[in-house]
Amino acid sequence: MSQINYRTINIDQLDPESSVNFPMETLLPATLPQPGTSSEAANVATQVRQLLRGGDAEGALRAVLDTAPLGGDEGAKQVHLATVTEVLQGIRQGEMTRVLEGVCAGDGGAERADCLMKYLYKGMSSPAPGSGSQSPRNKSVSPQSTGGFSQIQGRNLGEGGGGQQMSVLLNWHEKLVEIAGTGSIVRVMTDRRTV
Amino acid sequence: MAAPQVHHLFHAPIADHSFSSDRQTLAVARENNVELYQSSGNKFALSDELKGHEKTVTSVDIAPNSGRIVTCSQDRNAYVWEQTPSGWKPTLVLLRINRAATFVRWSPSEQKFAVGSGARVIAVCYFEEENDWWISKHLKKPIRSTITTLAWHPNSVLLAAGSTDSHARVFSSFIKGIDTRPEPSAWGERLPFNTICGEFLNDSAGWIQGVSFSPSGNALAFTGHDSSVTVVYPSAPEQPPRAMLNISTRLLPLNSLIWNGENEIIAAGHDCEPFRFRGDESGWQLAGSLENKDGDGAGGAREESALNMFRQMDLKGQAQSNTKLKSTHQNTVNAVRVFQESNGQVSSFSTSGVDGRVVIWST
Repeated sequence: MSQINYRTINIDQLDPESSVNFPMETLLPATLPQPGTSSEAANVATQVRQLLRGGDAEGALRAVLDTAPLGGDEGAKQVHLATVTEVLQGIRQGEMTRVLEGVCAGDGGAERADCLMKYLYKGMSSPAPGSGSQSPRNKSVSPQSTGGFSQIQGRNLGEGGGGQQMSVLLNWHEKLVEIAGTGSIVRVMTDRRTV
Repeated sequence: MAAPQVHHLFHAPIADHSFSSDRQTLAVARENNVELYQSSGNKFALSDELKGHEKTVTSVDIAPNSGRIVTCSQDRNAYVWEQTPSGWKPTLVLLRINRAATFVRWSPSEQKFAVGSGARVIAVCYFEEENDWWISKHLKKPIRSTITTLAWHPNSVLLAAGSTDSHARVFSSFIKGIDTRPEPSAWGERLPFNTICGEFLNDSAGWIQGVSFSPSGNALAFTGHDSSVTVVYPSAPEQPPRAMLNISTRLLPLNSLIWNGENEIIAAGHDCEPFRFRGDESGWQLAGSLENKDGDGAGGAREESALNMFRQMDLKGQAQSNTKLKSTHQNTVNAVRVFQESNGQVSSFSTSGVDGRVVIWST
């Protein structure tokens, strides 16, 4: 008996009424698009790469944000994140402001801005694709991952490719806050439609 | 538009405020107490304190006709305060909740009030003559999380509630012997206690911070943590709403909202200033801020003093503080309430916030 440290028992898991056992799916809005699969996300990636190669950076960013798999599975989301990161890295620093202004204007511009902000935070929270096999994903660390990102995670700054990607994302973050305002950061945290 | 009237009461957050119907008395929730201010000239002076709660008071409401004050607190209690010749006398209400009480409002009939709580229930309280105390009945299903805000329908039976489970709901709080049977409306015809007349979720499913019925009671507006305002027009009982319009904004989240007529909503929150929304069933838009932003905020200028100036110079090596906001409120607005209205048209409203100010605005 004395071996059990009662402080480490997660009492919430034993209480059926507890908010931890809350079915989060019931909170998803009805307007969520149909879940996409990773192969669909890969198709989108090919189209977006073509746009990018053709020099249409604004079109590429617009397309990749409009097709975000909000209702998709984890696989599709990972593929799409890689695509978004690729597009962001493919746009030169001097062009950022012009491209962003274009993407955040017009019909659905506010949604695109919020969506891009979600990807920036997701990109900053996940290890860079190049930085190799990082220890298990945050799943085991935080039993109830509430959103797309978690603060309980190893820092991946200064790990070769990771650091460079981070500086790109931070640059985008700065420009996006200038255009979309700090409210868009709040919406990343509260929106249940994760990317 | 007249300049807003600023009353800087103290340097502490105001959780909620309420004016009496003659607009001479102002009740303000400050930490564990409620302070009563009396109007004298164009100022409000502290006249009395309601002491009794053991933890932060979260909400306060003065009944317009009877003058009774109801308060609720994080100590899980609510008190009804009545004025007697020897001062304000509290009566404890049996809420039967095991988490903080978060929000309280009198029904328009003043026979009942509703208390929202973190215990996933809304306690609908009424006075029982035989036992001479306030008792409560719980609205429980299908609430899954803390109730953040409540609003009464003009018929005193329907109650709207916003919750951190992202839903805005409309319940029936009909209590036999207290309420008269309400007229059938688009929300429902037969309305036994705990009937769910509507359950709404906005697109991003953030927490709901403010709810309000339109003056006619035939539309519901709520604001969520995604800085949007959603307006719902019900069609018929048990049917999907006739229209549900979401106005997304690029502002910071809004905390509280009121209707001005059927075609205007005023909301305020973390941007520290009130905003106006206009529209009807075919569409709503953000019509802009009610703040006149020329020069410094009126509230900010008042706080300037020689002591402050030298402190700034000492600490930061600068004479002018640049932490001052251009808005009248210098911090988040927690509550927006109607100050003066006739037939649903609001001519002035009041706001209170974390900066310890109560501001009266003309629309």
